[in-house]
Amino acid sequence: MNNKIVKLALILFAVSAAVALCLGLVNGITAERIKVIADEKLAAAMNAVLPADDYQPVDYTGGDVLVDSIYKAGDKGYVVQCTVSGSQGSITMLTGVAADGTVTGISVLESGETPGLGAIAASSSEKGETWRAQFQGISSAAVTKDGGQIQAISGATITSRAICTGVTAAQNAVKTVG
Amino acid sequence: MNVKKQLKDGLITQNPVLVQLLGMCSTMAITTSLFNGLGMGLSVLIILTCCNIVISLLRKIIPNDIRIAIYVVVIAGFVTVVDLLLQAFIPALSSALGVFIPLIVVNCIIIGRAEAFAAKNTLGASALDGIFQGIGYTIVLVAMCVIREFLGTGAFGGGLLDPVKGLCLDGTGAGFQIFPAEYGVSILTLPFGGFLTLGCLIALTQYAMRKSEEKKAAKKEEVK
Repeated sequence: MNNKIVKLALILFAVSAAVALCLGLVNGITAERIKVIADEKLAAAMNAVLPADDYQPVDYTGGDVLVDSIYKAGDKGYVVQCTVSGSQGSITMLTGVAADGTVTGISVLESGETPGLGAIAASSSEKGETWRAQFQGISSAAVTKDGGQIQAISGATITSRAICTGVTAAQNAVKTVG
Repeated sequence: MNVKKQLKDGLITQNPVLVQLLGMCSTMAITTSLFNGLGMGLSVLIILTCCNIVISLLRKIIPNDIRIAIYVVVIAGFVTVVDLLLQAFIPALSSALGVFIPLIVVNCIIIGRAEAFAAKNTLGASALDGIFQGIGYTIVLVAMCVIREFLGTGAFGGGLLDPVKGLCLDGTGAGFQIFPAEYGVSILTLPFGGFLTLGCLIALTQYAMRKSEEKKAAKKEEVK
């Protein structure tokens, strides 16, 4: 009986070790490329919200759980990455905040909002571009229903509110570091 | 080894989605554009074939008591390899399919075929089974994508085809807009639209299969 258990364990161990070895090899080949692609994506999105020559990560100690990371965009201001909860899941977004605290632009990195409604906030279509352009130059973000000046996406108030929450969190975070 | 029967099984009589009703979750979630459907189908095809080959090779040394654990390790290994390769070389597909690539690990098609077929059959038959079942899965996904994309958004070939650039393998194609998106039945692009579409497809297959059986039976009667 004991022998049988040892034998089973050894076989399972051998299979797992072989699989782990293969995974290690593949990871070695792909890791660099995956990192390059992710960096390029982030850099392109940062450039869209606040163009600058270089972005330096800044330590954030403000304690707002929505804020993932902050980058200093030269002397022009900051780019803040936040994760807020939308209507279908979390939304990861970038907000550009100028030195005077106004928003320079927003970009959605990852989201899973309803196609045709909330997904407009992240889409690269003309509708999406126009919607996100509303945030440029404003100093406080809220949808018109809540007394602000952002026209919510029709049928997607929850998504629109979530994005506003992210923008506000970004502005507050910049106040603590800047 | 009966190649013809295996092909027919994979495509129609034992189709993984339409008859065995396996892998429903991914079928509902990702079939919104041709690019996604084809990408997911091919990923599953590759993983399924590789797993079937490995498990068929190891079938004599895998002890019966821990066979499921070994299947899961092998499947998870191949899925991770495909996931990493997609992230590195086809990032557009990887971001479109998102979590559904890692979730292939728990896609019942693969563990189902490992247990029901690869563990009992020779290497060649298992490899063919993987390919044919994978093709059957891909065909259903593509059919669902075309139906949902056309009726839901009025487009055809989103991501993969582009009226100007032709074939785009990086997922940037705009697709052919056949009628304006505003007139589309947008519920079809949501997951429950997937259920409606799949239900209709299953009903059609059952109807066609019954018809062909009745025909066969009628022929037998005549001969008598």
